[in-house]
Amino acid sequence: MISCKNVARLLASDQLQSEDWWIRLEVRLHLAMCGLCSRLARQLKQLRAGARNIREQNETDEGLEKRVLERLTRP
Amino acid sequence: MTPAIPISDDFLARLRSREPEALSEVVRDHARPLYRAARGLGFAEPEAEDLVQDVFATFLVRLDSFEGRSQLRTWLFGIMHRKVQERRRASAVEDRADAIEDVLESRFNLSGKWARPPADLEKLFLSKELGQFIRGCIESLPANQRDAFVLREVEGLETNEICKILNVSATNFGVLFYRARAQLRECLELKGWSKQ
Repeated sequence: MISCKNVARLLASDQLQSEDWWIRLEVRLHLAMCGLCSRLARQLKQLRAGARNIREQNETDEGLEKRVLERLTRP
Repeated sequence: MTPAIPISDDFLARLRSREPEALSEVVRDHARPLYRAARGLGFAEPEAEDLVQDVFATFLVRLDSFEGRSQLRTWLFGIMHRKVQERRRASAVEDRADAIEDVLESRFNLSGKWARPPADLEKLFLSKELGQFIRGCIESLPANQRDAFVLREVEGLETNEICKILNVSATNFGVLFYRARAQLRECLELKGWSKQ
């Protein structure tokens, strides 16, 4: 049986999809039985959604492209 | 974010002849994602725009040596990554010590079971300030972890593209990304406790 520590590492590394099928199956079974690891998995998903949302806060005004082009094509 | 599209020979030839429409297309497609990433990497608004200007200036100078083997977006982000590193060195930003492995070890007992389980953070994840908390926690990450996290999770680039941009192997990226996410979760847990 895979340990909580290994499940936590696999979940946080985001490389579970590239692992062998039996490891993925072990993790799924573990998550079905372990509330604490399921909580971690849920939090990592929420963290991803939260991170995608802050993208909007990093936007700039509409004039960026114009300003870049002006400077780029300045003789 | 849309997948990076390989550059065609025809478009590369138009760029090399400095055709205004072709240059305009590149700026239109890439200036904004570069700016957002620069902001995500910790640069204030004017500095982020200056960085984007700098990236495109270098792009124009090096255009003739670009062989078109990598995708344009990967190349531009790669230029930006090197410029970010130069600026961090110039401003002598010291990288924070990375003690996350010790923190993670302390969460498990010898048989690999939770000794200090993850706290319930539902309240925090539902709060309006979540974005602000995540932003604050990203700022506390070591630079290389921050770069990996922002490009993957905030900008949504694919792992293989980020490996080329940061010039790291897939294994190294996995370690950086794992540490970043683990560290952010720890940071949010601290903030979550303070919100109880």
